[in-house]
Amino acid sequence: MMAVELGYYGLFVALLASAWATIASMLATVSRERGLQSSAERSLVVSFAFIVVAAVCVEVGFLSNNFRLDYVFHYSSVSQAIPYKIGALWGGQSGSLLLWVMILGAMSTVVLWTNRSKNRALMPVVTAVLGGVVTFFLVLVNFVESPFTLGPPRSDGVGLNPQLKNYWMMIHPPCLYLGYVGFTVPFAFALSALANRRTGDVWFRTTRRWTLFSWFFLGTGILMGSYWAYIELGWGGYWAWDPVENASLMPWLTATAFLHSVMIQEKKGMLKVWNVLLVILTFSLSIFGTFLTRSGIISSVHAFATSNIGPAFGVFLGIVFFGSLVLVILRLPDLKTEARLESLVSREASFVFNNLVLVGIAGTVLFLTTFPMLSEMATGRKVTMGPPIFNLVNIPWALFLLFLMGVGPLIAWRKASASSLRRNFVVPCATGAWVLLAVLLVAPKAYLVGLVDLFRSIASLDVAAAFDGLKIFYPALTFALGAFVLGTVALEFHRGSRARRAQLKESAPVALGRLVWRNKRRYGGYTVHVGIVLIFIGIAGSAAYQKETVQELSPGGVLEVDGYQMRYDGYRLEAVDDHVGAVTLVSLYQDGRRVAALEAEQRFHPNMMFPELRDAFLHAKALHGGDPRVYQDAVARLYPLIRHIEQGAGREVKTPSTEVAIHATMSPLAPTRFGEDFYVIPLWVDPATGSANFRVFVNPMVNFIWIGAFVAFLGAHLAVLPDARERKRLAVTMALEERAVA
Amino acid sequence: MRSRAGSLVLAILALGTWAHGDIDDAFRREHEYATRTILCDCGCSPQSVHACACGRAADMRAEMATAIRGGKTGAEVVDGYVARHGEKIRICPTASGFNLLAWLGPGVALLAGAVGSVVVLRRWKDASLAREAATPSSPPAADDPYVARIQEHLREYE
Repeated sequence: MMAVELGYYGLFVALLASAWATIASMLATVSRERGLQSSAERSLVVSFAFIVVAAVCVEVGFLSNNFRLDYVFHYSSVSQAIPYKIGALWGGQSGSLLLWVMILGAMSTVVLWTNRSKNRALMPVVTAVLGGVVTFFLVLVNFVESPFTLGPPRSDGVGLNPQLKNYWMMIHPPCLYLGYVGFTVPFAFALSALANRRTGDVWFRTTRRWTLFSWFFLGTGILMGSYWAYIELGWGGYWAWDPVENASLMPWLTATAFLHSVMIQEKKGMLKVWNVLLVILTFSLSIFGTFLTRSGIISSVHAFATSNIGPAFGVFLGIVFFGSLVLVILRLPDLKTEARLESLVSREASFVFNNLVLVGIAGTVLFLTTFPMLSEMATGRKVTMGPPIFNLVNIPWALFLLFLMGVGPLIAWRKASASSLRRNFVVPCATGAWVLLAVLLVAPKAYLVGLVDLFRSIASLDVAAAFDGLKIFYPALTFALGAFVLGTVALEFHRGSRARRAQLKESAPVALGRLVWRNKRRYGGYTVHVGIVLIFIGIAGSAAYQKETVQELSPGGVLEVDGYQMRYDGYRLEAVDDHVGAVTLVSLYQDGRRVAALEAEQRFHPNMMFPELRDAFLHAKALHGGDPRVYQDAVARLYPLIRHIEQGAGREVKTPSTEVAIHATMSPLAPTRFGEDFYVIPLWVDPATGSANFRVFVNPMVNFIWIGAFVAFLGAHLAVLPDARERKRLAVTMALEERAVA
Repeated sequence: MRSRAGSLVLAILALGTWAHGDIDDAFRREHEYATRTILCDCGCSPQSVHACACGRAADMRAEMATAIRGGKTGAEVVDGYVARHGEKIRICPTASGFNLLAWLGPGVALLAGAVGSVVVLRRWKDASLAREAATPSSPPAADDPYVARIQEHLREYE
């Protein structure tokens, strides 16, 4: 119990310290008093230290099974494995908020440390903003959603939601939070630049790495979440346009727009207002994401972590967004720049369109996510916004974005001449055109029929059918545009290394290596583009060509789907960890050759609050390792017991989950199936006979998504590596700004 | 004669198989339409009955299959669900009335944004050209102390 008190009071001390940090830095902004600013900075670090103490105390509660803590009771149990006890910190509301504020405290400390002898004019407002956000979250975890709320003594807990007991789910939320929280830093610097009338290049050059870091972690978190959904939820897909998924995608899109548009400010001094707005929008959307996740205003698969903090988040979001907008409006004269645009056919113009589409898609996602509320307000009717409408409305714009991704790198700054366009685009365009032709020729009749249907839908003003009619063309267009982008990137690498070979007489690998190493940001960016293209290809292929079948089989039965034969060999029952499972054993054949042995499982997590069920489960579990027949019988008896208790209780006393079995074809020797997954789940298993209803998907190209993620991961790392030239440029910019202010 | 009778039997069998296949196809089409249009009401993420992996979706799929085997079309099954549960049971709203805003609004807004961007870019271009025409042909660095300072500093380290 000492840890509980320590954590409880630790959080309160952290709140006092961060509140003082905010007040002192605000006073320092006005008075320019160095002592006050030092005090503010030290207080923010102290606040972080006490937040860490509180988080450690919650973890101690989990590890010591202190079920008097309500939070531990709801998200842990005696039988929960230790990694999931540790990860349960972010399994619920207050722990997630605590993790958020701990990450923000850590980032604030790093910001204060790295800027201890630079950017001193900006730091008071930066400290005030960081302190203000930390204080807001600490108010929530102290007074609204405390992880230290005590209840009566309990011998066991409810346990973590079974679907969250997954490796990827353990690292996906912290990764997302690193992304969300990281955007606070560029936001704080942007506000400070506005408040201090230092709207030059320093704020965004200083925070470039922070922005990339946050963008990278948010993107990685999104992909990890997708992978978790793919292997855990058992519906064969990876993205459901759930409101909370959308909430993470929106700031990532606006941050991507910022990473591109900031290059125009660097090169041409343009788009200052736009860049500041993008940073504000990205941070606001990060808060909005948390608001959506936690408020429960829109139903979501993430409803396991909803609570009553919605109004507080709503007010905070309003203050952040509208307060920042007021500041931008007040500083508009400082943000005015001379527009220097020589041609609409230039990289500057292509970046403007790229920004338009990225922000447009983010806006579309926001609009469609909140449309059920709008509809209810306007018409009184509730509607559901499921995946089809998100896909149909967004895909055309995503394809346009893919096209711009190819155009951007090859089009010249200032003005692209006709000859340079020819020189740069002939090869990539030809590559794209050949791919388009090849895909269309695979099934020309289907495309012709699709075209006729599309025109028919347009003529009859059937909007939904017209959108639906476009679907048939999306994979072909995606592959063609993907080839076009890959062509442009390959050309960039080829030309750069060829120039080095010619001028410096370097060998091809050395020239390529040095080219990339000396232009890490640029070639890192191109590598990210390659990764994104692969992700697009994976999405298009798996969505368009997915095959699915559902079939009931008895042990020994065989099902066939898309050239695969799956034989159901048998099953075993088990009671392990915190669940009862029916593990189905299947063999996979292709052309009569056995290619894999897979195990897919259907699980029930019994509610341990029912003593009879808990005792029977623990009894069965204890028999594991003994006589197999006795053990199997004991587990089989759990099934009728669960039904019996459910009939008596009038509700479910188990939580079902599935463990998917996947066989991926990654051999280049099977090029037509490269990147394909054979994906199988048992929808139900009869524990007495072993009869099972299998749902099987063949997902072509789906692994391109994860390969693309890895390539993008490498590219982002390359772009964020320290660069001596960047450092010098930042030093010069800072000196210039100091002189300009003086 | 025997061969004729055999041919007839074969033809009938083929017709039966074809007809049976046709019925299967029709059933599959109607069932798929209904399961892909209706939302699984299990309460988790917005998934169609077709896509959702939960037990509730399996029950709903079976319910729809029974209704279609009983002679209903997919559209009638959907209408029945909408009548019982309201519009929100559809996986996405119909493209009519206020809902058209959701279907067409984003595209129209983006097109308007694209047109707006072209207009703004043209203005910027015209303003740049006008400025260039107004300034003498000396190098810009000489006229612009800010640019001159930047160039000076960049020369220092490059």
